[in-house]
Amino acid sequence: MPIKIAVLVSGRGSNLEAILAAIEKKELEAEIAVVLSNNPDSYALKIAKKQNIPTVSVDHRGISRKEHEKQVLQKLKKFAPDYLVLAGYMRILSGDFLTHFKDDNGLYRVINIHPSLLPAFPGKSAYEDAFNYGVKISGITVHLVDEQVDHGPILAQSVFERKNGDTLETFQARGLELEHKLFPQVLAQLANSSLAAMTNLNKENQKETAGTKISTSNEHNEGLCVAIVPKAAAAGSKLTSLALPLYWLSGKNLEQTKKLMAALKEILADQLLEDVWCVVANERSSWLSQWREQGFKWFAERQYLPGVTDNLARTVEEAIKLSGLETVGKETTVEGHIKVASGSAYLFDDSFNIKQVENHCRYRHYHPVTDKFRIHDLTAPQLSKLLEFPQVHLPGTPEPEVVALNLSDTELENLSRKRTLALNLTEMQAIRAYFEQASVVEERAQYGLGQWPTDVELEVIAQTWSEHCKHKIFNAIIHEKSAHVKAVQTLTMSMAGTSATKPARKTEARTITSLYKSYVQASTKKLAEKRTDLLSVFVDNAGVIKWNDDWGICFKVETHNSPSALEPYGGALTGILGVNRDILGTGLGAKPICNTDVFCFAYPSEDLVNRPTMLPAESIIQGVRKGVQDGGNKSGIPTVNGAVYFHPGYRAKPLVFCGTGGLLPLSVDGKCGYEKHTQNGDAIIMVGGRVGKDGIHGATFSSEALNVDSPVSAVQIGDPFTQKRVTDFILEARDLGLISGITDNGAGGLSSSVGEMAQITGGATLEVDHIPLKYPGLADYEIVISESQERMTLSSTKIEDLKELAEKHSVELTVVGKFDDKGFFRITRADKTIALLDLKFLHDGAPRLELEAHWQAPVTIDEVEQPPKSLGEALLALLGHANICSREPVIRQYDHEVQGGSVVKPLMGPEQTAPCDAAVIQPLLNEPAGLAVSNGMCPQLSDFDSHLMAICAVDEAVRNAVCVGADPNSLALLDNFCWPDPVASKSNPDGKRKLAQLVQACEGLYEAVLAYNAPLISGKDSMKNDFDDGTVRISIPPTLLVSAIGKVPDIERVVTMDFKSVGDHIFVVSAGALGLAATTYAGNMNWTSSLLPELNLEQAALLYQTIFSAMQNNLIESCHDLSEGGLAVAVSECIIGSNLGAELNAEAVVAAAENGARFHDLLRERMDVALFAEGPARLLVSVSPANLEAWLALWPEQKDLASDSKISLVEIGKVTASGLKLIDKTRKGELIELDNAKLKQAWQATLPFEEDFK
Amino acid sequence: MIRPRAVVLSGDGINCSNETAFALEQAGFEAVISHTSELLSKPKQLMKSELLALPGGFSFGDEIASGKVLAVKIRHRMLEVLHSYIEKGSLVLGICNGFQTLVQLGLLPNSEEGSESIVSLTHNSGGRFINRWVEMTVNADSATSTNSPFFKGLTKISLPIRHGEGRIQVRPDAKDSDIAVVKERAALNYNEDVNGSFERIAALTNGKGNVLGLMPHPEAYIRHSQHPAFQSIKRQNSSSDSLENTLFENPPDGLTILKNAHASLS
Repeated sequence: MPIKIAVLVSGRGSNLEAILAAIEKKELEAEIAVVLSNNPDSYALKIAKKQNIPTVSVDHRGISRKEHEKQVLQKLKKFAPDYLVLAGYMRILSGDFLTHFKDDNGLYRVINIHPSLLPAFPGKSAYEDAFNYGVKISGITVHLVDEQVDHGPILAQSVFERKNGDTLETFQARGLELEHKLFPQVLAQLANSSLAAMTNLNKENQKETAGTKISTSNEHNEGLCVAIVPKAAAAGSKLTSLALPLYWLSGKNLEQTKKLMAALKEILADQLLEDVWCVVANERSSWLSQWREQGFKWFAERQYLPGVTDNLARTVEEAIKLSGLETVGKETTVEGHIKVASGSAYLFDDSFNIKQVENHCRYRHYHPVTDKFRIHDLTAPQLSKLLEFPQVHLPGTPEPEVVALNLSDTELENLSRKRTLALNLTEMQAIRAYFEQASVVEERAQYGLGQWPTDVELEVIAQTWSEHCKHKIFNAIIHEKSAHVKAVQTLTMSMAGTSATKPARKTEARTITSLYKSYVQASTKKLAEKRTDLLSVFVDNAGVIKWNDDWGICFKVETHNSPSALEPYGGALTGILGVNRDILGTGLGAKPICNTDVFCFAYPSEDLVNRPTMLPAESIIQGVRKGVQDGGNKSGIPTVNGAVYFHPGYRAKPLVFCGTGGLLPLSVDGKCGYEKHTQNGDAIIMVGGRVGKDGIHGATFSSEALNVDSPVSAVQIGDPFTQKRVTDFILEARDLGLISGITDNGAGGLSSSVGEMAQITGGATLEVDHIPLKYPGLADYEIVISESQERMTLSSTKIEDLKELAEKHSVELTVVGKFDDKGFFRITRADKTIALLDLKFLHDGAPRLELEAHWQAPVTIDEVEQPPKSLGEALLALLGHANICSREPVIRQYDHEVQGGSVVKPLMGPEQTAPCDAAVIQPLLNEPAGLAVSNGMCPQLSDFDSHLMAICAVDEAVRNAVCVGADPNSLALLDNFCWPDPVASKSNPDGKRKLAQLVQACEGLYEAVLAYNAPLISGKDSMKNDFDDGTVRISIPPTLLVSAIGKVPDIERVVTMDFKSVGDHIFVVSAGALGLAATTYAGNMNWTSSLLPELNLEQAALLYQTIFSAMQNNLIESCHDLSEGGLAVAVSECIIGSNLGAELNAEAVVAAAENGARFHDLLRERMDVALFAEGPARLLVSVSPANLEAWLALWPEQKDLASDSKISLVEIGKVTASGLKLIDKTRKGELIELDNAKLKQAWQATLPFEEDFK
Repeated sequence: MIRPRAVVLSGDGINCSNETAFALEQAGFEAVISHTSELLSKPKQLMKSELLALPGGFSFGDEIASGKVLAVKIRHRMLEVLHSYIEKGSLVLGICNGFQTLVQLGLLPNSEEGSESIVSLTHNSGGRFINRWVEMTVNADSATSTNSPFFKGLTKISLPIRHGEGRIQVRPDAKDSDIAVVKERAALNYNEDVNGSFERIAALTNGKGNVLGLMPHPEAYIRHSQHPAFQSIKRQNSSSDSLENTLFENPPDGLTILKNAHASLS
């Protein structure tokens, strides 16, 4: 609020000028009501007149003091000033006069400026007195006037120095300059506060201003607490519960400034709809009594545990700075920095008891591993202790510790366990052997290190050698025993007489030297000869393929399973941010352009296992969904595609796959964009967030089974906003040629990122004392391995340019060391070496694992009963199945169109209900080529035949990409293996079988990759997806996610899956046989079957080629893949997506199902199997009558169904205006007749993604 | 052809700068992407342009409230310049988060200096973020259609929305005259209730019509193949002599809005 002041002045009025200038510049909100002088010739009066300010002159000469004061008072009264401001007024004011300006607190509203540090040198000639006294320092005082001369409560003081050679004139001039600065500032402060607040005298009284409650206190440093209250609630409307944002503020003398309250109002509340309540933190009794009066019984408050990332609070802190509160000119109005913590208040009435409040809030409003939560009974005579500002208290910085390794085997193993190193005995022995080498001992001595490693060294080795980073199982030597792969059988039981058995496949005993080299890498190597677009595979953070002459596309999918099991929101959020950083850290820095996410959950049900250390199934699901939403949306990256898959095996460890596509310039500043160019001598630069305790042991932790002691410090919450700033910064720095190398800080933190980049130059020295920390007290090893988020590691020589750019983007950047060629990863603190690790040992010194694999086929009793009475009902049940029904509730909450390149969205068609098989985006807005992104996964087959499972996963990814128009010869794949622990041990007795499944899966992957000419360009594995609390062990089904990208030559020619026009011909094209084993239908019917699907990879590849050329010639109207639920579900989805209909011919449906002719006769009896059985390489295509001839001409051999090896093409019906009909012409009846509304209603079932899910 | 300059704000979590600049270029502008710290340190640079675009995104992570902190940043550094920019008749376009920022700045529906805020953009009534395409109707019988250049020749439009806080709420103590202003300056109304917005308002202009804030994304519909029913409409139109669906007869709606802006300047 502007203040109204009267300026009293005797002299030339330079302070008046300063005040006027401040008003002019809007630094001071004040109105000068009048300028009064006792000297009619005062220059100040002239200044005022010029500005049209009323002036009054009351000459004191010739009248008594009393008379003079009386006249002055009379003149001033009509201007009713809030304050009298004495700007060089050379009259002493009497107590009688001052009484007229007394406020409620007994303070006089009269302010004086005096040119000395009162109480020194009062009186008329303060400058002269101080100067003559010989002070080294003097100053200016602004104070409230009281009855004594130059005396009264001090509002502000400011000092200036007497300098060598000062004369009285120069000394005084310096003081005057300060006067002119200080006086307006104090007045400005007053305008935003009150005398009472500024003098800190008003201790109890509350002062209310519109919408803002301020209470002040005599306690100085305990901080404030702020609640944001909806105006309606403040007015006392009847509610049973209420949630309010809550903030804690800490800083010096916060309560003294009214300006802070104004800023908080501006920043924290919606001015139209909300009020700001603000009190000293532990004096919230006024709130509590209000809530009590409103009828609430429970007040629950939540805040983050100390050290947990609080994005909201960081933003509030930045907003406070932006509001200009902390700095005015160079002076601070609030001393130092205001720290903020965010939280929430929840209020409940007495219809809740305390247990209900707790149950309602747990996992919904707070999570025990990240939040502090307290419930207070508002009606209790004594209130329990309220939450205070959360502060990280660490006992002090521990020194690096030397860990002697001359231990027994058992002791070595214990050491590994105790420190969460996740290293086995052989590895511990290898480490010991390294430190026992004479040459190593000698080298270490030169750097002042003893024989045995420091904890820093041990931790760095453990991170680098972790399963997460080194993929030890994929590089292990595997001895596989001979085994029979189970015979494939057809339906038995109620289908008597139709049994046929294929001979069992037998595997010979053998030794595989490395799954990675033998299968994953080998297939790509083979394809590399014809696929010249493979620019960078398996070496960088993501694979890179050529897009056009100027650009490459990179692609990477990561998992974040263990963190998501502990704290789903933070786990999923950091998962998505982490894989985005992988892209950002590829080559010289790529721009993330799309996200694809696949979630595997257990569907919440009473049958699920529940253990005390497991989160409720629905809270995992909801947390993950929200985490990915914030991760994708806030990063400005479209979430274009994904999948949600339910299986009870994911109860304890959900799988959260997060994938990102990126765009990378092939040439940056004349250098190859997909390589790193780090040079000896380049600085190591850390960019982004600071380092805290968060995420310590993430890499080693994910390499172990979850148990009760899983470290909670592995939990992190990501900060998408900071990462967005970092991304903007990196991309600009890249284009300016400021980056020579880059990688992200993910698993293992700096120990991994710097350790890896050091290999480029052959050495690096990391200076741990330069690394910026979130709070003091971290041990050096913690700093080095912390996985605190949002950080990138760069190499560069252009440090000043980078710093300037970082400032522009509000990004923190620190030089933390130097790359060299000395052969070591060296870490120092204050130039003292605390770690010295030979790079060769660090990266290649881990002993190879030797493992055993032995396949034991499962025993499945086939139980397939009679078909259901109503095929229609069976179809509706399938449409509503959790693995089939609409994903719309999830899809709509993910921004899938940002960046402007959207072509095929997750839901298309006239009603935006058509579930598309793959996404297509336009990576370069001015070029017509589209990027298709798809996924494939068939974990339900793993326990039957994981070789087939892998083939089907590849086929599904390829098939989906082909459905939308991708060129099958442009595809590139990623493999993501999520496996239950394949290393046999006492607690993991069937490890050998799981390893055999892994071997089979790798073989299948290899075959499919080669057949489809779709090379793997990157991959990841997560090998310990087990839960074990000593009572229950839950392992996930072996899961392989295959993700594909491919090129659609022209986005105008994409194809969506919805039917397009009445009368179009509907075809099923296939290159394989159907199965019943582990199908959704069999599950719904409670059947077990071992009938597995088959496919002919060569024919399937040809099929996809043909589909692609049909699309290039505009011959196809719609194309949809047949997956869960089989043909009938696929047709229904095409109907729902288009709001058209289909009439199917039962005979043709049977014909389409009998490719491979394995159960030709059977199918005539079992229409249900023909409709609902599942198999790979099957597509549903609609073709317009005009294109029919050209379409059929593409398939010369389609009619030959006798042979196993042929592509089958069958027209099964036509597109109609509405409804699904299956007509049996021989029996003259409708086997299915369902209208669109029914289909849609069944398909739009509820999924457990919402809080109100029951 | 004259290419009027458009300044497109970027940085601080704004996500849509690139495609907004691209769309403005397609519409005939010379689009210059300017980081907030650059523009705010030299706010007068703005005066050299004829359109300021505040693109969509999640400025400051959408913490506290969408557009809130970006508005604080702008208010304390360049509000005056912005007022004179608007005063001289230059165009200001706030899309999604940019709209939220304009409302937070108190520039809509009244852009005059010192005018009081009368609306807020709050959480969608469903409590969720929504990305979907919606149909909207241009408010034909209001000052908007006469004063605002953006919607000339448009009656019904189709654009995607992508927001969690797009619900217009009028201040609870609003005077009848305020409510009349809000209704009058509603540029677009959703055909269906998608987020609980007052009067189903999707966009607001100021009185002069040169400031437009809208929740849907015009920059996300500048080619027909961005439309979710692109394939089926194309088929309908190809299989009959007359266009069954007129959607593709004209340029995409988003591009038209920006072209209109361009036309009004040349």
